[in-house]
Amino acid sequence: MDIADLATQSLNGLQFAMLLFLLAVGLSVVFGLMNFVNLAHGTLYMVGAFVGFSVATRTGSYWAALAAGPVAAALLGAAFYFLLLKRMQAAGPMKQVLVTFGLIFVGIDAVRWIWGEDSQSILAPTAFGESVQFLGLVYPSYRLFIIALGLAVALLLHLGLERTRLGAVVRAGVDDPVTAASLGINVDLAFFGVFCLGCALAGLGGVVAAPVLQVYPGMDVAILIPTLIVVVVGGPGRLSGAFWGALLIGMADTFGKVLIPDFSSFVIYAVMALVLLLRPSGLLAARHGS
Amino acid sequence: MIGDEDFRRHCVAAALLSAAILALVLSGYAGRDRLAEIAILAIFAMSLDVLVGFTGLVSLGHALFYGLGAYAMAAFATMLKLPAGLAIPLAVLVAALAAFLVGILAIRVRGVFFIMITLAFGQMGWAYFQRSRTFGGIGGLSGIGQPDLDAIGLSLANPADMALIAVVAAVLVYVALARVTASPFGRMLVAIHQNESRARALGLPVQSYKLAAFTLAGAVAGLAGVLAAERTNFVSPDLLVWTVSGEVLIMVIVGGLGTLVGPALGATIWVLLRDNLSALTPYWMLAMGLFFVAVVLFADEGLYGLTARIPWPKRRRPSDA
Repeated sequence: MDIADLATQSLNGLQFAMLLFLLAVGLSVVFGLMNFVNLAHGTLYMVGAFVGFSVATRTGSYWAALAAGPVAAALLGAAFYFLLLKRMQAAGPMKQVLVTFGLIFVGIDAVRWIWGEDSQSILAPTAFGESVQFLGLVYPSYRLFIIALGLAVALLLHLGLERTRLGAVVRAGVDDPVTAASLGINVDLAFFGVFCLGCALAGLGGVVAAPVLQVYPGMDVAILIPTLIVVVVGGPGRLSGAFWGALLIGMADTFGKVLIPDFSSFVIYAVMALVLLLRPSGLLAARHGS
Repeated sequence: MIGDEDFRRHCVAAALLSAAILALVLSGYAGRDRLAEIAILAIFAMSLDVLVGFTGLVSLGHALFYGLGAYAMAAFATMLKLPAGLAIPLAVLVAALAAFLVGILAIRVRGVFFIMITLAFGQMGWAYFQRSRTFGGIGGLSGIGQPDLDAIGLSLANPADMALIAVVAAVLVYVALARVTASPFGRMLVAIHQNESRARALGLPVQSYKLAAFTLAGAVAGLAGVLAAERTNFVSPDLLVWTVSGEVLIMVIVGGLGTLVGPALGATIWVLLRDNLSALTPYWMLAMGLFFVAVVLFADEGLYGLTARIPWPKRRRPSDA
């Protein structure tokens, strides 16, 4: 592997990492707030991608799809929150996990019903339709767009979380929800906001991924497992955990495919098992022993 | 002396067994093959119930041991040409050993992390068998050696005989696991499930008990895998993929956690719903998913819990006499 290959693969790894980050961040922060994992998070990603596909087909505009996907995912997430999650808070996290597990199956078949079995795609916007040359590399500009978008979202979330009142509320909720609530903070409302934002980011991820990966029923499960691994590896509840976890898993997966193609699907699981054994609460855990 | 709860459990088990015998006698080729599948999945689901229902360890990687049992059977019987009488116990041993090793690592984490680490180990196994040339890669292996049972007048190539053996195996597993879970060991597992800190405070070696439960569950899942390999005469990585672990978890929860007979009922319902719904609509998983969500939301004890509404005869306790 020469330097150019190394650089290309690093960019590929970074691009996959940013996609994983868009999905993992919502999942991770919701986990931190409620100690519950939404296994149907991938479904929102898939719905975002398919809604984006429909909008792109009708309007011919990638940018319209990029706006519609997150909105659709957030609306679906909000409906899910009010119809199921809110009513189940007393039932405990395990029951919530199981319900979202059942919804995976519902989601896949509902999408097959509405959009059919076929693999679809969204065309990359014309502004990013071609490859660019820099530093002696030829690299698709759309993938650079994904990297830039991911970094921008990470920066915005970081600023929002560290510099705004809402961010402080969310951080307080993650650190100690009982104390936060007793100080008069509406933890439920903060959770709802964060949940919808996380869903919107998953939908955004779906549209962003569509020109690179295929849009098909089952794409949710394909991305769900690496996303869950990112959340666990990074340590749930922290923005930085989702970011560094995504980077680690994105790179491990990409370089695994290049260096040991026969056992590439092995690599991310091995990384996760190793991290869990060395640090049972993830690399950057928000709370210990939860 | 058995209590009302155990009495109800054994009644439901007996009813399920009667239905199985009826199906064995009355149904045709396809029906008997389906019965064998139900019995095998019932064993698989009961093994997971030891973990999820009794010990409170929710595993999303249980198919690893099911698949390992099947692959080990294929390896011993087909590649090493061992006689079935030796290959079957060895295959179960392989699954038990794998469960022991995975268990040592997995029980270090709890709750949702336990779900994730078992998922990771299951997927590692799946990735291995998908790529392994020795084990046929994605295509798997066919032509698993079938034990020669002429001496007792049976042949596994005949679905009726296969179904008979699978049902007998399921009954034996039910009786064995019912005894184990009713033993002091089983009560300790329930104690850990209900309040782990208290169990620890009482001086219980919690980790050893969890590991023992994990190993036992893995061994029984391995037995189910051996039977699955015998039934289809075929093994492939599809046996270990995470959705198989997910489906068996659905069977356990839909049937009723921590009851053994519930998961067997869940396996039955799963296969029957799958075959009947998929004949009606290609979107049968949608109905199955909604059904599962409804059970989680509204029926805490699963379908088995509904049998509590039957007015069972009250049994007299020894103290009443």
